[in-house]
Amino acid sequence: MSEPLLRLVDVSKRFGDVTAVDGVSLDIAAGEFLTILGASGSGKTTTLRLIAGFEPPTAGQILMNGADIAPLPPYRRDVNTVFQQYALFPHLDVRENVGYGLRMRGVPPPECESRVAEALAMVRLGDLGPRKPRQLSGGQQQRVALARALVNRPQLLLLDEPLGALDLKLRRAMQLELKHLQTRLGITFVYVTHDQEEALTMSDRIALMRSGRIEQLGKPDEIYHRPRTRYVADFIGETNLLGCKVLATAAEVVTLDLNGSVLRAPVGWGASIPAGAVALLSVRPEQLVIGPRGDVGPERNRLDGVVADVVFVGAGSKVHVALGNGTRMVVNWAGDATFAPGIPVSVTWPVEVGVLLRD
Amino acid sequence: MISSQVAARGRVLRLGALLPLAWAVVLLFVPYAFLLVQSFWRVAGGALTPDFTLDNYRRLIGTSLYPRTILYSAETALWVTGFALLLAYPLAYLLAFKARRHRELLYFAVIIPLWVSYVVRAYAWKIILGQHGILNGLLLSLGVIHEPLSVLLYSRWAVVVALTHIYTPFALMPIFAVLESIPPSLREASQDLYAGRWRTFLHVTLPLSLPGVLAGATFAFVLSMGDFLAPQLLGGNDSALMVSNLVWSLFGVAYNWPLGAAVAVVMLGLTLALLALTGAIERRGQTR
Repeated sequence: MSEPLLRLVDVSKRFGDVTAVDGVSLDIAAGEFLTILGASGSGKTTTLRLIAGFEPPTAGQILMNGADIAPLPPYRRDVNTVFQQYALFPHLDVRENVGYGLRMRGVPPPECESRVAEALAMVRLGDLGPRKPRQLSGGQQQRVALARALVNRPQLLLLDEPLGALDLKLRRAMQLELKHLQTRLGITFVYVTHDQEEALTMSDRIALMRSGRIEQLGKPDEIYHRPRTRYVADFIGETNLLGCKVLATAAEVVTLDLNGSVLRAPVGWGASIPAGAVALLSVRPEQLVIGPRGDVGPERNRLDGVVADVVFVGAGSKVHVALGNGTRMVVNWAGDATFAPGIPVSVTWPVEVGVLLRD
Repeated sequence: MISSQVAARGRVLRLGALLPLAWAVVLLFVPYAFLLVQSFWRVAGGALTPDFTLDNYRRLIGTSLYPRTILYSAETALWVTGFALLLAYPLAYLLAFKARRHRELLYFAVIIPLWVSYVVRAYAWKIILGQHGILNGLLLSLGVIHEPLSVLLYSRWAVVVALTHIYTPFALMPIFAVLESIPPSLREASQDLYAGRWRTFLHVTLPLSLPGVLAGATFAFVLSMGDFLAPQLLGGNDSALMVSNLVWSLFGVAYNWPLGAAVAVVMLGLTLALLALTGAIERRGQTR
């Protein structure tokens, strides 16, 4: 990676006794779509506000193109923000809202006008220029907020849960539209959300935050398929977590014991786990196969149980299987066979899809 | 059983709503109506005589004293309004945006003079501005003047100063309320869009706070225009008297209740017209 556009170096923010952001370091490349994902209170919005300049960091550096921008006020940063509730100026019409930044920068009126028209066309609001924000729907307001930021052609666009107030269908459509816009314009996006689906759909990389720290940073499929901790595995998607005892660690495979059943998993992060220790094995419901009891080859793990519940979810079913010791596993099942509660079954999965987690 | 309880509660609620209404009718509308009626009466042989005559209004318009005093009062009220806004706006701004921890305390400090008797506050200015007052004493001891100034007290400016002091909290409260209701994200958005603090104030905060300014100005203007104690105590000579003092003397000394009522009705009409105007401006600002 060449020189990153934005670099956070050990950035912390404390409000009194509360540490909102705790030693975050992060490099963001030019043109990247980076999502900061986290539950409320994880420090994701504060991180964004530090980059925008609304809060000064308590410690650390914020470098943009190599220069520390931490001491600069927001109006001196080449960064624009799309706010959570849009923060459109209620006394200005759509055109005046979108042109605000250009006017403040002293862009001559004719150029200002044409760029505003261009920005409005880009978000497909060309004919709504003379309206006041309160005369627009939520989705339209969202587009105005986007146009108001993008019209300034910032190097970096910050988006704070921009789709949070929209209904599901509109949100899905806007996700794609935003992603296309970002790719087309080549502007770097830092996108804050608590919605893991949104993060997986749109991002080049995801930084999952927890208690002011980055719990894991990676591409969406890495985060999904190779979570490092129980928190990540639990937060992103659905998963089955099995508490096992480590029997032996070989070069590539760890052998585990789950109440007498022997399971195997790729070493991954478990390389340093000593024999006898307890480890968590995570397997996604869609990676599991359910079938009648019977032996499987050495490349698959197998656990026996009894069907406890079958929940229809539209495109298939979720089959809950009760294992002998009281644990349950959830299996996504889209096959033809139907399962009724009480039927003895085997749940199997390929050894390589299991993930060992730190608790 | 339950439905009868609900019905009983409904009756209690309706009674609760009716009481303030009855209060307003008996103590406001009836006297105002009576005032209006009486402004068409006349005084005959030292007695109030019911009549329907426009003489009072004719005299009101025809005698230069009355229009002149009304204009004078309006002018004084304008000065008071201007000074009150100049004091109230920065103070409200500081309270709303700068005073983080001590906000309640400071707001309280602004409001607390309202709990002190009006007469006490007016007299306080007498003590400050009088011949042997604090201000003269200060100026004398500083050597700025050698004789106590008599122009400080008993002048229009004494009245303006006292009224400004008294009505500034009334101007401050609506301005503070509006400033406080501006979402912080709007000012942040403005800064995010390259506007510094001053331009953010000019382009976002100030225009959004205008309804509060209008309400505050209306309060200060209407209240000071109708004031009569401050001119009575601090205005001194007749030339500094305001329209309410005229009404008072017409009802009292002159025993010309019908003419007094006519002046009061004109003042009431002017005030209502002003309120309707500011109300219309505010509504236009909302729908625009």
